[in-house]
Amino acid sequence: MDEPNMTTTLAAPARGSARRIGLLVLLALLCLLPLAINDYLQFVTNTMLVYCLVAVGLNVVMGYLGQLAFASAAFFGIGAYAAGLSMVYMGLSFPVAMVIGTACGGLAGALVGLPALRVRGYYLAIITLAFGELMRWVYVHADTVTFGSGGFNVPAITFFNAHIGDKGKYYLFLATVVIGVGATSLLLRSRFGRAFVAVRNNELAAASLGINVNRTKVIAFAWSGLITGLAGALYAALNGRVTPDTFGISQMLMHFAIVMIGGLGSLAGSIIGAVLLTGLPELLRNFPGLEEIVFSLLLILVLFLMPKGVGGFLAGHIPWLRERLYREGKDA
Amino acid sequence: MLDVRNLTVRYAGLTAVDDLSFTVARGEVFTLMGPNGAGKTTAFNAIAGFVKPTAGNVFFQGRNIGHMAPEQIAALGIRRTFQNNGILREMTVLENVLTGLELSTPSSFWGCVTGWPASTRAERGATDRARAMLRQMDIAALADRPAGDLSFGQQRLVEIARAMVAGAQLIMLDEPAVGLSPGDRLHLGQALRELAAGGITILLVEHVQDLVMAVSDTVLVLNYGKKIAQSPPSEIRDNQDVLEVYLGHG
Repeated sequence: MDEPNMTTTLAAPARGSARRIGLLVLLALLCLLPLAINDYLQFVTNTMLVYCLVAVGLNVVMGYLGQLAFASAAFFGIGAYAAGLSMVYMGLSFPVAMVIGTACGGLAGALVGLPALRVRGYYLAIITLAFGELMRWVYVHADTVTFGSGGFNVPAITFFNAHIGDKGKYYLFLATVVIGVGATSLLLRSRFGRAFVAVRNNELAAASLGINVNRTKVIAFAWSGLITGLAGALYAALNGRVTPDTFGISQMLMHFAIVMIGGLGSLAGSIIGAVLLTGLPELLRNFPGLEEIVFSLLLILVLFLMPKGVGGFLAGHIPWLRERLYREGKDA
Repeated sequence: MLDVRNLTVRYAGLTAVDDLSFTVARGEVFTLMGPNGAGKTTAFNAIAGFVKPTAGNVFFQGRNIGHMAPEQIAALGIRRTFQNNGILREMTVLENVLTGLELSTPSSFWGCVTGWPASTRAERGATDRARAMLRQMDIAALADRPAGDLSFGQQRLVEIARAMVAGAQLIMLDEPAVGLSPGDRLHLGQALRELAAGGITILLVEHVQDLVMAVSDTVLVLNYGKKIAQSPPSEIRDNQDVLEVYLGHG
């Protein structure tokens, strides 16, 4: 067998510290960001934060659990509608509406997880896409509740009766993203996250280890729905308007592209993908006619040069960036 | 420890395992042998819950497990390895061994996502147990390597470590010596004998004769799903029925 590689073992705590310090510095910079950007860039940054959560939610099912499921636009819409409508009809404050949107997304996720117990691959892809289109049909046709194809305006977010602008939303969104991504990271570094990846690798072997494959799938879908529903609630607050057309196939393709570019099975990649794919179109907006071409070429190049996405590429070259599926113990 | 009674498995008219009975004592290394298609792996799968028996029963420590799901059987302390594909290739060695602790890590879902201290302690404790098992199996140096990058022999040891880590009482190994070098086979044989000496029962399906003869306490030979011989390895090689099956004598 191989010779012991002591450096790998001894480096673990240092690796963890470096990662923690890096994250704290990044967070501090993010807190200062609104001081350095104008209103337009603030709106773009807020959109990036929303899509960070979307990407993390989709990556749980597609990257970690390994299921070809395309329901994330549906979860996104459910979160947006549930949060927005609860504010319109019940006059709830945004934090409460956000909880409702999140919970509805989670319930929808668990529901969509049920077919995944019976079908997989392309069949699951079709079923989940159909679910998204069904939800869009509901938004259009249940107009007595959803206001139909025209959608509805979401009441402004206030804090002690004071209107909160985009800079205020930024801090709310940033805190929400830190909590959502942090909770997902903790989940993935637990026995639940390991069960997701074990199921992706080999369902039979996973079952032989005592992992309940069906329960694992439902948990992953529910968490994915919950995080994406939370993103939907933020999206409703960000735009102040919710319409059915926002949550169609093109929205789903956007989510898929973010995860593929960022890297399947990578939390850092999810965030990188979200920042790139929401930021780049804005940067290219100044070059009319070239926008689509440059954007498409960039997508092709990234996928060609980095088959595991940007996150996978970075983790492959910088070992301490590799995401672990466990919490380090005392023996590291 | 394990009591297989009149086990029969049929697939659409084909009888893969036919009225098979045997018992395995605690700390015994019990090997199922036979030519290709003899029904060894089917019997193995029926015991581990991956195939439902058509007839007969399987008792583990007096409890009928014949119709339980694989994860329920695993929870009783029975772990199995797979012939070719049991390793979780995209996970590291440490993460592979940690998956073996799925049932004995008392962390709750909400405890994990909120970082609740009790769940965090349970998760950290699981990592310590997994690392201790890697050291015990002499593969601690491989902890951070992706399991798919290892040699066959190393992968087998990882599978055994993963089976052992949760305190399995019966380990079922499906052709663990396939693809191993003679040196790795020797290492594997020693590991199996050490496990048995520690009171762990081993049920082995294996073709590689030198490993079978070196580690087994009892060898059962199957042919066309039926038991044709069962005895210590020293006697099995002189058994006329076995010679006929393997060499076509008679």
